[in-house]
Amino acid sequence: MNDGREELDDLREAVREFLAAKSPETAVRAAMETGHDPAVWDQMARQLQLPGLALPADYGGDGFGLTELEVVLEEMGAALLCSPFFGTVVLAAQALLAANDKAACERYLPGIAAGETIATLAVAESSGSWEPAGIATRAERTADGWALTGKKSFVIDGSIAGLVLVAAEAPAGPALFAVRSGAPGFRHEPMAALDPTRPMAALTFDQVPGELIGAEGEGGQLLNQVLDIACVALAAEQAGGARRCLDMSAEYARTRFQFGRAIGTFQAIKHKCADMLARVELAEAAAREAARLADEAAAEFPVAAATAHICSSRAYMFAAAENIQVHGGIGFTWEHPAHLYFRRAKSSELLLGGPAVYHERLLARLGI
Amino acid sequence: MPDDVREFARQAREFLDAHATRAEQAEFRWGQGEDTVAYFNADPPDVKDVKLQAAKDWQRTRYENGFGWISGPPEYGGQGLTPVHELIYNSIESEYDVPDTGTLSVIGLGMIGPTILAHGQQAIKDRYLPALYRGDIIACQLFSEPGAGSDLAGLQTRAVLDGKYWVLDGQKVWTSIARQSQIGMALCRTDLNAPKHKGITAFLVDMTAPGVDVRPLRQMTGGSDFNEVFLSSVRVPDDHRLGEVNAGWRVALTTLMNERATVGGERGGTVAEALGPERLAALMRATGTLDDGALRRDLSDLLADLLAAGHLNRRAARAMRAGMTPGPERSVAKLMHAQNLTQAAHFVSRVLGPRIIADTGEWGTYAWAELLLATPALRILGGTEEVIKNILAERVLKLPKEPGIDSTSPFRELPRSGKAAS
Repeated sequence: MNDGREELDDLREAVREFLAAKSPETAVRAAMETGHDPAVWDQMARQLQLPGLALPADYGGDGFGLTELEVVLEEMGAALLCSPFFGTVVLAAQALLAANDKAACERYLPGIAAGETIATLAVAESSGSWEPAGIATRAERTADGWALTGKKSFVIDGSIAGLVLVAAEAPAGPALFAVRSGAPGFRHEPMAALDPTRPMAALTFDQVPGELIGAEGEGGQLLNQVLDIACVALAAEQAGGARRCLDMSAEYARTRFQFGRAIGTFQAIKHKCADMLARVELAEAAAREAARLADEAAAEFPVAAATAHICSSRAYMFAAAENIQVHGGIGFTWEHPAHLYFRRAKSSELLLGGPAVYHERLLARLGI
Repeated sequence: MPDDVREFARQAREFLDAHATRAEQAEFRWGQGEDTVAYFNADPPDVKDVKLQAAKDWQRTRYENGFGWISGPPEYGGQGLTPVHELIYNSIESEYDVPDTGTLSVIGLGMIGPTILAHGQQAIKDRYLPALYRGDIIACQLFSEPGAGSDLAGLQTRAVLDGKYWVLDGQKVWTSIARQSQIGMALCRTDLNAPKHKGITAFLVDMTAPGVDVRPLRQMTGGSDFNEVFLSSVRVPDDHRLGEVNAGWRVALTTLMNERATVGGERGGTVAEALGPERLAALMRATGTLDDGALRRDLSDLLADLLAAGHLNRRAARAMRAGMTPGPERSVAKLMHAQNLTQAAHFVSRVLGPRIIADTGEWGTYAWAELLLATPALRILGGTEEVIKNILAERVLKLPKEPGIDSTSPFRELPRSGKAAS
């Protein structure tokens, strides 16, 4: 359901068509081995202008909102696109915007909008927590700026990003810093990842020069804001992935014959698929509604964002697991794409902390 | 919003300002207010009567001021406007404190009215449609039978033509509001030699006619919200037939389609209020469980589902206002509604512990027993969970039908539904 907005359908169609051509399963598998395809990233920026879609016109973007970005992310999630899009356009760009730092936005966002800069946001450390209170990486004043020392883990695209926004503890409290990947004292190491379609890296900072983004001590609030948007963006990807798992299951149930009949004629399979459908519809509604509320700057947005993250996490994990079950043995093979969705579903569920954290996040947003 | 809709909204507000008061958003305080969390009506009979009269009066006031049947054709007392106008009126009216007219509207005005309009003969439309929408009469639905639940087309109540009358014999069950209704829409078997879906005819039955015997059915909550309706040689004039002879299945589909259009799952009242985040948190505070990690996690799980279901319904309502027709995927809302209320009742019982198995007299505790006992019904009424999942799988996901369900042989040759002989 598109709210009656046909332009969203057109956007969805354009992105879907592009991804069908540029991110078929063969491309996803190739990217799992060798990383994302820079040519596709380039085309996304030049032909579809996707990185700048939801960035303000002042910084080289097209000025659309999260509602439009949500549609794009659903399709990317469905296609398992391997791309620095999430890290660059969602995490890094939204962190820059949340910092309310005009100079930094002018410096970095046009490059992101044009697809020239690959960026990411480094918050979590060895525990994986996004809580500002748990950040051990230190920022110290130097003669001409700041120096960062510490370690970050689970950094999405941390090995290919040219610009890394680092959450660090400064004397006046948590703050955000921009670091160039070539800076002295900066090292990156790819992490073996459950979901090879979304590469992660461990970063080491040894007196790395950094530039303060926004105000010192306001990093905590900034991260909460980014987290709300990241929750919706991730929920969109998850809802899209879950929908694709459902489509795969339904297609297989129509065409796979056992006992002389399509397995979709059995209620055991029908009801599994219907359960998947119910969760997918719920996840889509939660993600789309949260995006709409963000664009309206509604007071309910943070609650809606946490809701979307929970519903989409559950829906995707459920659909990815049931999809393998509907497929039976073939679904457990390396050659079949079902496991790629299973991997993405699990890594997405836990990327921002997982159930242990997101339940309390919703309650906190509700003031409970 | 187009100008005519804006003008309509203005008129609706003017009417409501003149005839009702705005609902006040009372601040919730633990221990204050009605101590009831009832899905089914738990009012004593005299209170029920007063509320029913108030509902009829309010429907009449709506009707006389042009808001009783907004999308209905003018020749039968409607305003000739669109369903969009109706949705807008409903959303404005929800800001006011007005009697709950569910007894009249959910089945009678929402489902049977549109069916009479689509399939009724002229005299019937003239006679019943204005009366229904003016709140003078109430209609019920005589569909389910002891032997025809999920397999509705297996119904066995007979209707036999005798001159200008049909003679009805059989038993209906799970009939809501049968005791309050003046008319009922009955599905009857009229041709045993036709396949099951093709030998059914729909009639409008006078519920006060000789041979109609309504007996309250006591459900597991202890209340009686449903009835058995026995039909013994009930004579129904042929002009009370809805649709052609043996075309009753199509008529029934009109009725059921309108059920879907009344956006599923949204239900106000004491249950919706009690399930608000603030209320549930207050319950945990009052029972000293707010810091219990396991219960907090359950609470968050539950709230995420309740909030997301709210989003689903809001988006569907918005799409309908934009002129889209709700598809079969709307059944997801019903599925979720049943699941969420069931989940909620069991969550609350874990919070309350023994306080839900015996009444300590404490406000806001034992009252939940009523909802807990109602939850099994939610997975059955209006289409069982299993039937809804089949519909979703077949209509939305296009999975093939189960083979072996015989819809071509004459009804009399089919194995009878009901209980297997032992």
